[in-house]
Amino acid sequence: MNCDEVVVLLSPEIDGEIDGLRSHAIGKHLLSCAACRSRCHSLQSLRQRLRDELPRHAAPPATRDRVRHTTEAAATHLRPTERPAARWSWFSGGALSGALGISLLWVASTGMLPTQNRQDLATQVVGVHTRATLGNHLIEVASSDRHKVKPWLSARLDYAIPVTDWADAGYPLVGARIDRLDGNSVATLVYRYRDHVIDVFVRPDPESEAKSDSIPALRTVRGFNVAVAHGAEMQWVATSDLNGTELEAFVTGLARGTVKSPS
Amino acid sequence: MPEHADFERLVMVHLDAGYNLARWLARDSQDAEDVVQDACLRAMKYMGSLKGQDGRAWFLTIVRRAFYDWLAHNRPAQALRSEGADIDALIDEADGPEQMLQHKTERLALADAVAALPLSFREAIVLREIEGLSYKEIARVADVPIGTVMSRLARARRLLQASTMLRTLSGAEPGVQQ
Repeated sequence: MNCDEVVVLLSPEIDGEIDGLRSHAIGKHLLSCAACRSRCHSLQSLRQRLRDELPRHAAPPATRDRVRHTTEAAATHLRPTERPAARWSWFSGGALSGALGISLLWVASTGMLPTQNRQDLATQVVGVHTRATLGNHLIEVASSDRHKVKPWLSARLDYAIPVTDWADAGYPLVGARIDRLDGNSVATLVYRYRDHVIDVFVRPDPESEAKSDSIPALRTVRGFNVAVAHGAEMQWVATSDLNGTELEAFVTGLARGTVKSPS
Repeated sequence: MPEHADFERLVMVHLDAGYNLARWLARDSQDAEDVVQDACLRAMKYMGSLKGQDGRAWFLTIVRRAFYDWLAHNRPAQALRSEGADIDALIDEADGPEQMLQHKTERLALADAVAALPLSFREAIVLREIEGLSYKEIARVADVPIGTVMSRLARARRLLQASTMLRTLSGAEPGVQQ
């Protein structure tokens, strides 16, 4: 690759959106070209500043309250429409243009806890895992370098997790991404074991000390195994098509910080 | 009412993300609230279509659509010239070191520069850098091909780098010279 080719790819490259082969070629070019290296650094520092400095505007409590009131009132008038559309394009119509005008009946409906309908954890993680693998959105930061993965995750979450590449034990770290579980952002570490992809969801677990010795719960959902372990003040939930015994051993090892080779 | 319990679980958890997008696009908190209100009503109506999809990207799609409808209704002139216009203002405003001093912090200046980007670039930057969406997700939310997302982000970053304001503020760091 020459400079012209590399320059147009630098922006998607720093976003991790370039496939491995071209990414490798870009890396090779950067080694030998100081000008492109400087362009790349400049882009990276801009991105870092954007991530550090752009304010994320949270909905003010009053806005949140008003949204609740409006939608609860409207819920008494509208039945949710079940439509099998695969795309979302029909939101574009002014379908609800009159909805705000509906007289607001404040219905005191209590007991709408968000946890009430919470999906079973195992079903949730298998859903996230299959969507990520099928949707080709497995990895947001591709690296086996924990010094790259850990800060990437820390910058996006309000907690920090231990990150280790277990390639020596046969489980190379491939990368990471951010997912949502129970409505909260969660760190997802992606490992490989032979041809199996293993997603490991890691989130704070205040009761980890009490549970660290307990046997991980193992579940199977739609053919995927889900194993849970607790350690390092975190809950570790692993899912994969890898067999259950090995997955259990792996996630327990992760939680304890000592992964052993299965063979 | 089960429908509303679903609404809490599927939509209200993403209210901050939706409000943030609306706030960055509308650049005003009152307008952002109007947009989010409308978006929530739409989301409630079409919640049945959200089967196993990522709720956040789904809701952001609705918020974005609600914003453009709001824009066409309330600011028809701006809706027409939303592409490419504001960046001139950004560069004009940043023409001297005296004006640099008026900015209290770098943080403010960078946020201002983003706020001055043309709409389509601004939404790409906000979805990518604040929400952390992938190109594929942004393409879905903004209803454009992935290649367009790629070029919008690249151009947005070039504009941010090229603005005198940022070059000066980031000290010795040169922008991209081409």
